[in-house]
Amino acid sequence: MRILVVEDDRDLNRQLVEALKEGGYVTDTAFDGEEGHFLGDTEPYDAIILDLGLPVIDGVSVLSKWRRAGKKTPVLILTARDRWSDKVAGFDAGADDYVTKPFHMEEILARLRALVRRAAGHASSELICGPVALDTANAKVTVNGKSIKLTSLEFRLLSYLMLHMGKVVSRTELVEHLYDQDFDRDSNTVEVFVGRLRKKLGVDVLHTIRGMGYSVSDAGVPGDAG
Amino acid sequence: MPAFQAMRANSLWFRLIASSAAIAIVLLASAAVLLNAIFVQALEHNFDQRLKAALDGILANVELGPDGNPKLTDQLSDTRFSLPLSGWYWQISKPGEAAKIVSSSSLLEQQLAPSPENLATRDKDGIAAFSMKDQQGTNLRAIEQDVKLFNGNTAYSFLVAGNFDELKSGITSFQHTLLGMLGALGLALLAALAFQVRFTLKPLRDMQAQLNDIRSGRAELLADDFPREIQPVADELNLLVQSNFEIVDRARMQVGNLAHALKTPISVISNEARDPKNPLAQKVREQLGVMRDQVNLYLDRARRAARAQSIGASTDVEPVLQSLARTLQRINIDRKLVIDVDAPQGLRFRGERQDLEEMVGNLMDNACKWAKSRILVRAQHLAAQGGDGRYWLLITVDDDGPGIPAEKRATALERGKRLDESKPGSGLGMSIISETAGMYFGALSLDAAELGGLRANLKLPSVG
Repeated sequence: MRILVVEDDRDLNRQLVEALKEGGYVTDTAFDGEEGHFLGDTEPYDAIILDLGLPVIDGVSVLSKWRRAGKKTPVLILTARDRWSDKVAGFDAGADDYVTKPFHMEEILARLRALVRRAAGHASSELICGPVALDTANAKVTVNGKSIKLTSLEFRLLSYLMLHMGKVVSRTELVEHLYDQDFDRDSNTVEVFVGRLRKKLGVDVLHTIRGMGYSVSDAGVPGDAG
Repeated sequence: MPAFQAMRANSLWFRLIASSAAIAIVLLASAAVLLNAIFVQALEHNFDQRLKAALDGILANVELGPDGNPKLTDQLSDTRFSLPLSGWYWQISKPGEAAKIVSSSSLLEQQLAPSPENLATRDKDGIAAFSMKDQQGTNLRAIEQDVKLFNGNTAYSFLVAGNFDELKSGITSFQHTLLGMLGALGLALLAALAFQVRFTLKPLRDMQAQLNDIRSGRAELLADDFPREIQPVADELNLLVQSNFEIVDRARMQVGNLAHALKTPISVISNEARDPKNPLAQKVREQLGVMRDQVNLYLDRARRAARAQSIGASTDVEPVLQSLARTLQRINIDRKLVIDVDAPQGLRFRGERQDLEEMVGNLMDNACKWAKSRILVRAQHLAAQGGDGRYWLLITVDDDGPGIPAEKRATALERGKRLDESKPGSGLGMSIISETAGMYFGALSLDAAELGGLRANLKLPSVG
């Protein structure tokens, strides 16, 4: 899961990034509206945390620009502005959630999880694919009811694929969502991690679709006529 | 302008009417006295002419009798000189002597004795004209001339008098007519004056009405078509209204900046002190919570104080309810709440949009927290109450949650009271709504909703 944090207060930005990393997310940061808008416009994020009182371009304008350009990335507004008029303006500009400062970090994490899940079209915090169950709320994975241990990256990989269950996810897409901007995209490590994850799960739900990418599904390989 | 107000001594209307009426009364009274004097004078002149004619008749018929005294050869044709005590007399005497030599038979044995002052002024023919009374008290008009008969040396005083009381009814009737006419003229003048004053003061009344409109939010500025004399006042008032708006705007902006400036550091400190095992971090978090509540409380007060001075704001209710419902549906998107809004078009709250949003937003937010599936928000005009010219609207927010038992509802409105600690909130919500409503002389009350949960009634002033 790759998150963009647009917040001009450097301390708060750092705290958010640290908390997100602990929560298993990859993050990019921006400290003003212009930078934030550019990143959100060009990089494929799973969610964006957006402050409203930003230098250069304010948050509502940044959000409106994204939405006008057809960007559907879930956006969580994090702001000190707690008036209902600000909330109305934020949601009307296309926000998906709105948290006012001061806030509890746990709340931000919980709401982000819900946003990402909802964006992928899942109503419950638990994603189930045959014998595999993944709880996004407490980062637990069970196979046939038995808990298994995954590394942070393996968990991210599995949850991204399970959020997009039944669809084919390309290697590029996976790299984009699992690593931050500076990651070397030509690396073959994704294949290594997929192999390890498949071994840990021990059940046949993670399929490689040659020349296209990967897919998680219970009913065999999608699009495979055989 | 109601009559009782116009009649108050301290009003321009009263001052103009009273001063003009006083002047009119003095002028009309003077005119009455003058016209009456002119009329009486004309009557006397006319009467004197008749008396002169009678005197000429006497002089033409006078001759000296055997006793050397004058006497009349013929009786005068006017029979009133023969009727006893008719008021019509003639008398011949020696000048300066009281005893008469001869007189009309009407005078009987009485004598007419004009005073020396009466005889002091004479016209160019030597005739004195004056008023006197006979012994019955009848008002007489008389003329007297001293004539030397037949070129003799002896001058005789010829006096002819007429009954002036006979003209009294004519004078009275003239005076009545005069008073009636002048009275009618006076009333007509007053009516014209009242109209004139009303017409002249109309721009002032217009200004008053427009100020009222500004205060109650139906207008933003005074018109610029007032008469030259009061347009400067209107311009000054407009500047005042505008600067009032600007002051409120500035205050609000500064308060907003302060809010932003304080909340981010509080967030940062609070996040730095996340470690639940560290007692220092615990203490810091606890104190930050207190700070946060205090910041919220005083920011809210400052915002409202800044707004308490603003005049003339008004807000369409329906769009506010719709946008809040839309926003709350997004906030609670996972719960699939149904939020229905039922509000008439054109219903306007007499106050700031932000205040309405905060009050109703918090009520609806509260309803969303407790509702199972449904929230109903209704707004309506209230029938006029108390006849004080104020209009009210009522906004009700119903939910289908557990509600609050009747005996606990009053407690729920108190500051810092939270009936259920399990739901988020600082406990300020209800009391702040109540305080904000109070600022507009409105009120918040709680009741049971038909949906089964809590009903919040918010009564606020409306426009029109």
